[in-house]
Amino acid sequence: VCRVKRRSRRDLLVGIAASIAAVAVVTAVIALVKQWVPVLSLGVLYVFAVLPIAVVWGLWLALPVSIASMLAFNWFFLPPVHTFTLANSENWFALAVYLATAVVVSELAARARRRAAAAEQREHESSLLAELATELLRGRELGDELGEIGTRTAGVLGVDNAQIELGAQRRPPPGTSPHLLEAADRTVGTIYVPAGSDPNVAARHRFLPALAALLAVAVDRDRLEREALEAEALRRSDLVKTALLRAVSHDLRSPLTGIRTAVGALRNPTLHLSNEDRLELLETIDLDSDRLSRLVGDLLDLSRLEAGGAAPEAEVWSLDDLVREAIDALDARDRVELAGEAPLVNVDATQIQRVLANLIENALKFSPPDARVHVRITATRKEAIVRVVDQGPGLAENELERVFEPFYRRGSDTRSGAGLGLAIARGFAAANGGRVWAESRPGQGATFALALPVVEVPAELQA
Amino acid sequence: MTGQRVLVVDDEPQILRALRATLRGAGYTVESAETAQGALTAAAAHPPEAVILDLVLPDGNGTDVCRELRSWSDAPVIVLSAVGEEKEKIAALDAGADDYVTKPFSVDELLARLRAVLRRLAPESGPVIEVGDLEIDVAERLVTRAGERIKLTPHEFDLLRVLAQNRGKLLTHRMLLREVWGPAYGDEAHYLHVYVSHLRSKIEADPSKPRIVLTEPGAGYRLVDPESS
Repeated sequence: VCRVKRRSRRDLLVGIAASIAAVAVVTAVIALVKQWVPVLSLGVLYVFAVLPIAVVWGLWLALPVSIASMLAFNWFFLPPVHTFTLANSENWFALAVYLATAVVVSELAARARRRAAAAEQREHESSLLAELATELLRGRELGDELGEIGTRTAGVLGVDNAQIELGAQRRPPPGTSPHLLEAADRTVGTIYVPAGSDPNVAARHRFLPALAALLAVAVDRDRLEREALEAEALRRSDLVKTALLRAVSHDLRSPLTGIRTAVGALRNPTLHLSNEDRLELLETIDLDSDRLSRLVGDLLDLSRLEAGGAAPEAEVWSLDDLVREAIDALDARDRVELAGEAPLVNVDATQIQRVLANLIENALKFSPPDARVHVRITATRKEAIVRVVDQGPGLAENELERVFEPFYRRGSDTRSGAGLGLAIARGFAAANGGRVWAESRPGQGATFALALPVVEVPAELQA
Repeated sequence: MTGQRVLVVDDEPQILRALRATLRGAGYTVESAETAQGALTAAAAHPPEAVILDLVLPDGNGTDVCRELRSWSDAPVIVLSAVGEEKEKIAALDAGADDYVTKPFSVDELLARLRAVLRRLAPESGPVIEVGDLEIDVAERLVTRAGERIKLTPHEFDLLRVLAQNRGKLLTHRMLLREVWGPAYGDEAHYLHVYVSHLRSKIEADPSKPRIVLTEPGAGYRLVDPESS
């Protein structure tokens, strides 16, 4: 508040000083020139004092300057000098003409100045609006721009600072006064300017509605963009859910159908089953129940992993031991060849064996029946890597990541597994600080790799 | 013992194995195939008297097999469908499949359907068809119950006639619309629902509990003998 008043007072003082100086300078010039030119015709020179004052400070100061000029002219140059009386009545007339000229000229100058200022203000406003429109329409996030827009709006309104808030108006921050930003039918937000400051009224009426309309467009655009994103996310998650449901229902139903058919046949008294058929039906029940229970186990693991509930119980193990146990669990010792180093890792043995078993099982599944799967362990100072190399058809570039998606099935693989093994392997590996990835060139077999951080062997144990 | 030959097509080895044993136990001679191509080859080598066909096969779908089979064989086809495969199921029925069971099905249900499709090899073509106490005179376009005349509109009569001529068989909405309203129709299932409800109100003892014209939800209608159901 005080600052604004102080500034206008300072403005006034500077104006008065400038006026005195201007009148003094013109008076001095006339004193200098009057020996060559009739003094009466020199009164017009005071216009040069009045005009700049009118242009810079306006009519309110130019008028006193005009009168002061005439008084000075009278006092210093018109006989009898050093009095305010005039000997010659013609001089009164001249003085009056000079005064009128000065007043008219200063009014014209002041008006021109006001127009120029208003034009400049409007140009300022419209160029700001144009810039804002360009930036907002270019897709800049509105929230990031509000500070900048506030600062620049303050410039247009002629206040020290301004802060814009979107949405419904709340209690203004202390020391500010609010102006609503209203566009068409709604309040877009509020602009807060320092309390007691006096925003340029015309600018406020002209600029704020335009700014509000612009902000309204940007707000709407942001909202639509957000809604489109949300809709897209929903649509995608719906797709995933549908695929998931379909896959689960298929994978649950197939073994169920096998079991139900076999049980139905065994219990049906009208059927004449040979012993051989009876055994076949029992085996179907056996295999399909197995498949069901594995699937349910996989689903549980996956949901635990996704819920972050698979906390590993880490211990130090030699990685080759874990690989060997995984191979044994699959009963695949004669189809898998193990070679390489024996780094120590700090992991949950059950989980990492599961990872390894899933990778090896997957490799076996995609290898020709008589081909061997090679498992190699390498170690650097930081990482131990197990590579499981199969001799199957390999993976296309675009499959390298997709094979780890739950329920993804490679190629025409319709019957084996639900497509959960690799997803689970990746989940357990990550839970143990490791990672799993695929490498392949089509036609050369696929390699699935598991990397785990190595345990530093304490120096006293390295002997 | 060589019973009627049934071709079973499914890519799930355990289901195939259970079905083979079951059908052998029921006295059928069983052929099996795991792929669409295998099914057509097997059907050509040993023409079956009925086909049990899974809708989803690794090298194609059951609908295509059905259509191909229909072009040279009259053997009835029962489709094995699953929840979520309704569209495929209807497509297979439209392509000429005779009936369906939904996985996981009961053995009794499957065997009953199989017996039914084997029994009904040709549509009934006599001038008068009897359904319970209904008499449908195809030539005179008259329907009587216990000697008493029932008045039907021409569309209602044709609907009843088509259903009765295919007694026991599931007719899809599309088939019924084409047969009764003509080949330009096929997607106006709501017409059909309205006409069926009119027909039921005239021929069923209790139209709210139909025993002659049965609804197969989402698939079509089937006319059965009220005594046998």
